[in-house]
Amino acid sequence: MTRDRSPLRYLGHQARDVARGPLALFVVVSAGLAFILWRVFGAREAPDPADLLGGLVAGTLLVAVLIAAGGVAGNDIKQGYYRAWFSKPIAPWWFYLQRWLLGGVAVLTIPLWLGTGLALAFGAGTGISAALVGNVALGYLLIGGAVLLASTVSARDWLVVFLVYFFQRRLEEVQQMLDGLGQDVPWAVDALVRVLPPFHLVTPGAALPEGGELVRLLGYGLGMVALAVVVLRSRPLGSGGRA
Amino acid sequence: MIRFEAAGKTYVSLLTRRRVEALADFTLELQPGEVVGIAGPNGAGKSTLISLLLGFLHPSAGRITLDGLSPRDYVESRGVGYLTELVNLPSQWKVPDALGRMAVLAGIPASERDGAVREVMVRLGLEEHRAKRIKQLSKGNLQRVGLGQALLGTFDLVVLDEPTHGLDPLWTQRFRDIVAELRRPDRIILIASHNLDELEQLSDRVAILDHGRLQRVVDHGTTVTADAVAWRLVFEGTPDVAAVLPGALPVAGREGTWRAMASRAELSRGLATLLSAGAVLVECVPEQGRLASAFHEAVKR
Repeated sequence: MTRDRSPLRYLGHQARDVARGPLALFVVVSAGLAFILWRVFGAREAPDPADLLGGLVAGTLLVAVLIAAGGVAGNDIKQGYYRAWFSKPIAPWWFYLQRWLLGGVAVLTIPLWLGTGLALAFGAGTGISAALVGNVALGYLLIGGAVLLASTVSARDWLVVFLVYFFQRRLEEVQQMLDGLGQDVPWAVDALVRVLPPFHLVTPGAALPEGGELVRLLGYGLGMVALAVVVLRSRPLGSGGRA
Repeated sequence: MIRFEAAGKTYVSLLTRRRVEALADFTLELQPGEVVGIAGPNGAGKSTLISLLLGFLHPSAGRITLDGLSPRDYVESRGVGYLTELVNLPSQWKVPDALGRMAVLAGIPASERDGAVREVMVRLGLEEHRAKRIKQLSKGNLQRVGLGQALLGTFDLVVLDEPTHGLDPLWTQRFRDIVAELRRPDRIILIASHNLDELEQLSDRVAILDHGRLQRVVDHGTTVTADAVAWRLVFEGTPDVAAVLPGALPVAGREGTWRAMASRAELSRGLATLLSAGAVLVECVPEQGRLASAFHEAVKR
């Protein structure tokens, strides 16, 4: 028997899993949000679709990314499914990277579902822009990259990233506030804001980050994904005889 | 060829730094065409050994190679037919879907996949469960699904961890037939089991592990036949069996029944003496399988 050695051979199954899971949820929630907004605004003047869509995406992106990327590797490792998957001729790092990328595709469709819902509700356009889609992609790279990295060591990856996100955002706000008041920022706060992933740079409703900010965001995102791949390649998946 | 060279695995607790030596100084070579059993009491290191062999754990000491490759490189490039001790698949999957997915991962070409899945389902009597989800299967049926996924694809290494766990006697026998069918000159089959009778029937050699160490390797062809095993002897009347088979003891409450430890040669000589003296033998059966005797001797339990 000739063997199908294509690394993409399991892609279809993973795509179906994502379509039935996160993607279906995003479609339903988008439709629900559009319906609620239509009921709230009613016959009043329709809001600017770009502003509304930007605000909605900004408000839901973190949760959406945690849903799409959460548990990618960590859940399989915890449940022990990996023993069946990876006795077959496939590399864990590729299996999970592929699944993670599909999660990203699902998140990237959120502006489409929300924009379509808003267009149907208010008839004033979808509000979708290249900058918004670009920001969503950068958001998935950074937040989703952190989730993938956390997933290599914990099944509670989403919780770990949520806490780090919350902590980093509060620290960054403290830094901004002290700067605004002309006071010295404690070195520990400054160091932590520099070291932690720059989640504050993910701003779906605004313009795309540029220059140093863009480089920093891309660097952290790609770096965390690369580190996750290295961990999946080098760290054994088992932690005990029957684990 | 699989080569374990002084392989060891020590687990270290992150918090307390407590060390548990699960496997130590394990050296063994497995040749293509062999069926090798791994026996040992609970906690002997069997599952750790399999995890090391599949690259799910890294050895703390020594080296493991499969055809010259590290375990992970071997598995990722060639794959292994592997039945886990506890079959673990997502609970919402239906049986054909689970096997279909495993066929994809096993690298069975799309044109042959449905046929391969169908064949495995028929072979393992899973057709009647095709509408069920994994979570709806009984322990035995789940075990059969696990065995089915291990049989999908043609691999040069098949590893079966407690393969008859949860199977009824009918399927236990069917499983033995399947393993016999799996034998190939270029394939190594490794079976870890508590069931010594099963290992004795299926394997060419059995490695006995205890406390993480290889105690002995029992080769059915040679070693065992020379070993003393326990026999149950039943005579008419009450001949003095202990006089010819030192250490033989009468079984309390059963007149004429004795228990004796002896090799085949010792037993034959002893019986010849008794029979020539007029004793009438009713029954002579090994009380334990040969492997069981070797096992108990090796683990001192």
